[in-house]
Amino acid sequence: MDYKYIEQLLERYWNAETTLEEEHILRTFFRQSDVPAHLNRYAALFAQLDAEAAHELDSRFDERVLRRIADDERTVVRAERPTLLNVIRPLMQAAAAVVVVVLTAYGAQRAFERADRGVWDYNPASFENSYDNPQQAYKVLQEGLDIFSRTAQADTARAAVNPETEP
Amino acid sequence: MPTIDFRTDLLPLKNKLYRLALRIVADTVEAEDITEDTLIRVWQKRDELQDLRSVEAYCLTVCRHLALDRKALHDSQNASLDDLDYDAADAAPNPLDRLVGTDHLERIREIFNRLPERQRTLIQLRDIEGLRHSQIAEIMGTTEEAVKVSICRARQRMRQEFEAIENYGL
Repeated sequence: MDYKYIEQLLERYWNAETTLEEEHILRTFFRQSDVPAHLNRYAALFAQLDAEAAHELDSRFDERVLRRIADDERTVVRAERPTLLNVIRPLMQAAAAVVVVVLTAYGAQRAFERADRGVWDYNPASFENSYDNPQQAYKVLQEGLDIFSRTAQADTARAAVNPETEP
Repeated sequence: MPTIDFRTDLLPLKNKLYRLALRIVADTVEAEDITEDTLIRVWQKRDELQDLRSVEAYCLTVCRHLALDRKALHDSQNASLDDLDYDAADAAPNPLDRLVGTDHLERIREIFNRLPERQRTLIQLRDIEGLRHSQIAEIMGTTEEAVKVSICRARQRMRQEFEAIENYGL
């Protein structure tokens, strides 16, 4: 087999003229088991470079760094201490909103009521009974008149006893 | 680049960052620390990085600087062996090594680690992480040409040392 290409690549490798792709070819070539004797001496060199690439950090490192990151984040939050006004500001805003809504509703209700009431209706045609039961209506009327007569009698009696007080 | 998410954008870079840091400081615990600091630092700065072209390149840059800082700190506490005039260690394998023959990869790692930091990092980024010259240039803060030249020097040096061992060492 002809190894001219590899030899050329190797020569260019020493002179730092190879591209990354060519260097990859070299590495792959020297990784195989049947490298010819005159090139085999360099296999160890490339094997060593491969071995150096195997140094790695384990997941414990990840955990530690992530914990440190989390700590940093927390301190940042703690650093900007919120004032009392800032804390209750949303509450105050909500309360203000509720007050505005209640006042508006109340005002609107008042306005509608006034419009509904209108002027007093004296027309007997539109008169409606207050009570469905005539007996009950009679009783209510009688009680009203009783109260009136009692008040009137008391006034008359007081006027008879003490005439000076009469206006 | 929209907002940066820690789990999907930053955490998957951990191994690349770790290997780069390890390459520079040559200490697993230290490298893990540096990786963690890099991720946290980039995460905290995420708001300023919205219009970044490559988060990966930025992370690697931060990681390299952190690693170099740490290394400088450590080096200042120790006397540098580089400045001492000493005899090179006898790299010839002892009979046991020769018998077992397992030190081969170890030897290559030594060659690799003996490179100056800059060359070592370049080899790490190119040959181990498989980055493009343009990306490496961005990370190292230099030009693509300079990156190629340095990688060439690093590879030549590795080749020489490697062949020296291959030819005479064994």
